[in-house]
Amino acid sequence: MPRRQDLKKVLIIGSGPIVIGQACEFDYSGTQACKALMSEGLEVILVNSNPATIMTDPEIATRVYIEPLTPEALDKILEIEKPQAVIPTLGGQTALNLALSLDEKGILKKHKCILLGATPEVIKAAEDRELFRNILDQVHAKYPQSEMVRTFEQGIQLGDKLGYPLILRPNYTLGGGGGGIAYSPEEYHPMLLEALNESPTSEVLVEESILGWKEFELEVMRDHTGTFVVICSIENLDPCGVHTGDSITVAPQQTLSDVEYQSMRDEARKILNKVGLETGGANIQFAVHPTSGARVVIEMNPRVSRSSALASKATGFPIAKIAALLAVGYRLDEIQNDITKTTPSCYEPALDYVVTKIPRFAFEKFPGSPDILSTQMKSVGEVMAIGRTFQESLMKALQALEMDREGIPDVNFQVDHVSYPNSKRIWHLFQAFRHGHKISDVFNWTQITPWFLEQIDELVQFEKELPSQFKKDSYLSLLQAKKKGFSDARIARVLKMSEIQIRQSRWKQNIHPSYLQVDTCAGEFDSSTPYFYSTYWSESQVKPVVQPAVMIIGSGPNRIGQGIEFDYSCVRGVKAFQKRGWKTIMVNSNPETVSTDYDTADYLLFEPLTAECLLEIAHVFKPQGFVPQFGGQTPLNIASELVENNLPVMGSGLEAIDRAEDRGHFSKLCRELGLQIPKAGMAGNLQMAFKLDTEIGYPMILRPSYVLGGRRMEVIENRDELASYFERHAEAISVDKPCLMDQFLAGALEVDVDLVRGVDWTVIGGVVEHIEAAGVHSGDSMGVLPPQRLKQETCEKIEVLSKKLAEMLDVVGHLNLQLAIKNDVVYVLEANPRSSRSLPFVAKATEIPMIDLGVAACLGLKAQDLKLQNYNWSDTKTVSVKGVVFPFKKFPQSDSILGPEMKSTGETMGRGEDYSEALMKAFISSFYKLPLEGEVFISLREKDKEPMLPLVKELVLMGYTLSATSGTAQYLAAQGIECLSLKKVHEGRPHCVDRIRQGLVSFVINTTTGRTAIEASFDIRRACTNLNIPCLTESDTAEAFLIALKKAKRGDFKTQSLPPMKSV
Amino acid sequence: MSIKFNGYLVLETGEIFQGVWHGGIERAGEVVFNTSHSGYEEMATDPSYMKQIIVLTAPMQGNYGIEDKVWESKRIWIEGFICVQIQNTVVDQKWKKRLTDYQIPLLSDIDTRKLVLRLRSGGTPWGAIVHAADVLEAQQKAKKLIQSNRDLEKDWVWIASRKEIENRKGQNPKGPRIAVLDFGSKENILRELEKRTSELVIFPSRSKLEDILSFKPHGIMLTNGPGDPQDVEVARETIRQLIGQIPIFGICMGHQVLGLALGAKTYKMKFGHRGSNHPIQDGILNEIYMTSQNHGYAVDEKTLPSDVKVTHRNLNDQTVAGFYSSEKNILGIQYHPEACPGPHEAYGLFNFFIEKMVGFPK
Repeated sequence: MPRRQDLKKVLIIGSGPIVIGQACEFDYSGTQACKALMSEGLEVILVNSNPATIMTDPEIATRVYIEPLTPEALDKILEIEKPQAVIPTLGGQTALNLALSLDEKGILKKHKCILLGATPEVIKAAEDRELFRNILDQVHAKYPQSEMVRTFEQGIQLGDKLGYPLILRPNYTLGGGGGGIAYSPEEYHPMLLEALNESPTSEVLVEESILGWKEFELEVMRDHTGTFVVICSIENLDPCGVHTGDSITVAPQQTLSDVEYQSMRDEARKILNKVGLETGGANIQFAVHPTSGARVVIEMNPRVSRSSALASKATGFPIAKIAALLAVGYRLDEIQNDITKTTPSCYEPALDYVVTKIPRFAFEKFPGSPDILSTQMKSVGEVMAIGRTFQESLMKALQALEMDREGIPDVNFQVDHVSYPNSKRIWHLFQAFRHGHKISDVFNWTQITPWFLEQIDELVQFEKELPSQFKKDSYLSLLQAKKKGFSDARIARVLKMSEIQIRQSRWKQNIHPSYLQVDTCAGEFDSSTPYFYSTYWSESQVKPVVQPAVMIIGSGPNRIGQGIEFDYSCVRGVKAFQKRGWKTIMVNSNPETVSTDYDTADYLLFEPLTAECLLEIAHVFKPQGFVPQFGGQTPLNIASELVENNLPVMGSGLEAIDRAEDRGHFSKLCRELGLQIPKAGMAGNLQMAFKLDTEIGYPMILRPSYVLGGRRMEVIENRDELASYFERHAEAISVDKPCLMDQFLAGALEVDVDLVRGVDWTVIGGVVEHIEAAGVHSGDSMGVLPPQRLKQETCEKIEVLSKKLAEMLDVVGHLNLQLAIKNDVVYVLEANPRSSRSLPFVAKATEIPMIDLGVAACLGLKAQDLKLQNYNWSDTKTVSVKGVVFPFKKFPQSDSILGPEMKSTGETMGRGEDYSEALMKAFISSFYKLPLEGEVFISLREKDKEPMLPLVKELVLMGYTLSATSGTAQYLAAQGIECLSLKKVHEGRPHCVDRIRQGLVSFVINTTTGRTAIEASFDIRRACTNLNIPCLTESDTAEAFLIALKKAKRGDFKTQSLPPMKSV
Repeated sequence: MSIKFNGYLVLETGEIFQGVWHGGIERAGEVVFNTSHSGYEEMATDPSYMKQIIVLTAPMQGNYGIEDKVWESKRIWIEGFICVQIQNTVVDQKWKKRLTDYQIPLLSDIDTRKLVLRLRSGGTPWGAIVHAADVLEAQQKAKKLIQSNRDLEKDWVWIASRKEIENRKGQNPKGPRIAVLDFGSKENILRELEKRTSELVIFPSRSKLEDILSFKPHGIMLTNGPGDPQDVEVARETIRQLIGQIPIFGICMGHQVLGLALGAKTYKMKFGHRGSNHPIQDGILNEIYMTSQNHGYAVDEKTLPSDVKVTHRNLNDQTVAGFYSSEKNILGIQYHPEACPGPHEAYGLFNFFIEKMVGFPK
């Protein structure tokens, strides 16, 4: 049966802002689905609150709504658009949960809308663990002993019955949120409380432990006739006990026999049929006992997922696209396999290579949170690498992580770094074997399947013998090392040579990798899909590349500070180059992205973003040049190495990059231009710092050289704190790597400016005014476009200054500037010669096709070739607010106070007719509850008390009651404001945190500075984080929150689709 | 680690692939590739691989050791095993050892991708795996091996078949008696039949019609087997006389010989179907599902008699994957409903045979 003719218009729900457990893999799946359905002639309506995505680019769907993912907003959009169906299976758990609530509230029925892909029954069957277990019983599948706990007392009894360790899995949460492993009653009781809190239905499955079992996952698809295929099997290197999102995983599975595998496959098919998933993709997780082979089902998700994105990239099978086509009525056998073009999509991919995924973590951002992995997902990104063997793919993935150039650095071995799963365990596994530990020992410590340990051990033994082998036969030993995936950098370390020597030696002996096609069929059928990976095991299959071709370097694994927004730039950049007749070679290592979809660029290379790999690609694919300015900091860091090896850079040259990136050069330039910059100095140690501090003055902002996302950046107020900073960050500061000390412009207004400069033109994309004052990292501040507080003349001044700076830096293409404004003086803080985090937001707010202009600049287009008069950002009528989401909840001991070090994982966008509407939407989309009444708890630092008085009075007028710690309460009482006085934590109980925990407080305003004060008020903020109570830690955020509350109290709001991007 | 590239696969058409020799004895055979991810031991013991050197596209082989229970016959049939990497660590090298113990040559570190593309585009030639000091020596050795091995007995099915009648008790006392004509049967065809029958009698491929009928079977199973179906002359005549008399179910070689007995023609495919991921449209069970495949010949659709309907198709290339005639009560299936290795969805065809064609339970 071809597609359903009754469907003309469908609505796709996106997954919202990037959070741990739900990242840009849903941008990939949603974008793919939109493309597939659009090409079917359907009208596609997309709703998502995340501006950093490709899918919210206006071209991706018929109409795009950047609106909150709430039933209220969806109700309005359904009213405007009247689609026949909603597809909820492409936007992760967020979309499924929203679909359920649309169904429960009767909104779907009201708009005569059906759900496609998964019915409410299916969603519940997979998510409600009790229903799911009934299904498993019916198909005779086994599962760990467990019980659904609804009360604390019941949980305690069950704990005694099942014995320890126990696994807690709250119902309906993301990425195992609120769950964990408890090894003793002491650990179990508080975890149970939190888990009950965390589940929206207050239900927690408490489960017997299957720690140490082997973990597998099957990615499966089904069409409405029941045809069932397994797209990919995945095996976790880390055994059960580590969340699968935090595990190193391998595809296809490597250690199951055909008998075991087929039995698992049969069970997956039975479960899927019984759950009643009519069409689409799903994943099912299994655990297998390492010796008995007993198997249990862990869970299933009836939707595309992080692992389905991985499976798509690993196999070349576009799961999301096919799922979308199945949802509108096609059968698997009616859809052609894109890759072979001759065979149908009802087949199971056969792989003649091995794929390894490694997660990337950000524990260093959350001091106090132990680097230990458990059932709650903590990773913020991941890389994937393809090799002919497991060893080659593992080693490539380790290089792709961008944590260490060598991939497998020497580390100080500690047994507990192996036995307790943590973010660096893989390095310690290598080190364990370097120290001569036996496979059996390491197995006892880790329960990692010996097959994997043997592979690692073999690599280590090879490494040990490499020096002597190299002396005997340099050609053969180098070739073997490369076949085993060793980076040049690691080989150099082992042979005590330089990386350049190794590369030269390799090239002289003609040892280069080959590029093989990912073709879904292990070579069985001809295919022309230009999706490649490198290997030293085979001969190349690449036909000469059509010229002119350009290499675009992606942004690698998502991390805090560099994420999906750079993928937006890459993908849009690819399209813009293509429009101008160029062939594009996209290189990236991040499987969650749209840029690594095989039909994004003309050539896709799934490779680590290291100079070594990129130079090899250039050697074979021969691009005219490379573009580093779309992929964030990663490509900029390797640009000079590529240029030194005769690969021309397109856009800003090395000199321009250096002028902007090197602080010395940059300050000099600013001074020459007469631009104000904060007073600054550099100190390699505390003595040097003490010589500079009076000149710079306090407060000042400190950071080590070479940082991304404001790592280790702190504002300090006095000499004591200066000394403390040098002590705490000693390992990152030296005379070679001095600490940067900058005057801190307290209370200054900050702005981001994004512009594009061409040969004889410059376009300002927009000025984003930060809502929080200076001191909060730009990635963590909320922002608004157009600015609401900046004077018109200052704005004009900023434009002039920005253009002048761009010219003096001689950037070609993108430039992002961070400026601060204090007392009408504009200070230049930082210049980034690349596309930026704020760029997708700016482009969507102003409709200016920034990336297309960046490409035009790179290609040397002149003003006369472009419609520059169309691009006036200040014409923008709607107000756009950027909201921010944080992962504090996942890091138990982390403080939600904002500072110069970036901590947010994602952003949202609220668009409105005025500031209040945009703010309200941004807050809602960023998961803030907007309490319309109740008690506001206030705890203010001394200097905020007076300035915030009007705001406090406003709260009273709006009908809120107040409570405060004694100091603030006394101050307010003196001002005649009624306020409940509460004890501080150290003043004894019941104290303010008790009151918050009791649920008596609607939201909290808590401003504080100075290390001691921050530590003293930590419990207040942490309680709010744990209980999802809004906690505003900056006075400006509090003011903005009030504006949003007022709008919310007035009730209604409007939704509108994004206007099309202006043409180039 | 001092690795030696001292093993060669030499194709009769001249191409040479160099890799690492792991032991066994030098052998020759038709070079074919299989895309199944797992199931190396099942494949190696499948008699249909007689006189074939098997190239595994899945690069890592031997990962999960060995398991006697999964043998599909009493011996290893392949003439050679070629892969990218063989499990060869101190802890586990069981599969490598088993192959070499059985004197099967094992080559690793071969550029199997290049080899597979060669087989895909140029068909499946004969080749030899040899252990040599250099290319010249390899070529000479291979030439001899190929010459002396390729033209022995033509009827390969007869070589692979049992030479004595074997009786087995089925597990279903109420089930039928089934006669199996052994063309080189995989064990799992017999296991699946045992589950559903009261008695099995397994006959050598050249058994006489009277001998088979004397057992009074309720149905006949024609099994898989190696080689060119046109060389299977005795069984073809026997089957021709059985058609219309008794329900017949042919699998793979059995399906092809059944086709020939019906007067249809078979042809050699360019590089055949070998893998566990082939989509089949099954017009009898009314499903589309993945199947296990291993065949180099196929039945020519145009030459089938008009009362025999093509009921099963390989969706990759639309070739005949099965035919059925309700009048004659015969069913031919080109792929492997018995799986091993591969998916289990086609087990239902055994039920169809027993329940619908043979009519048990009555």
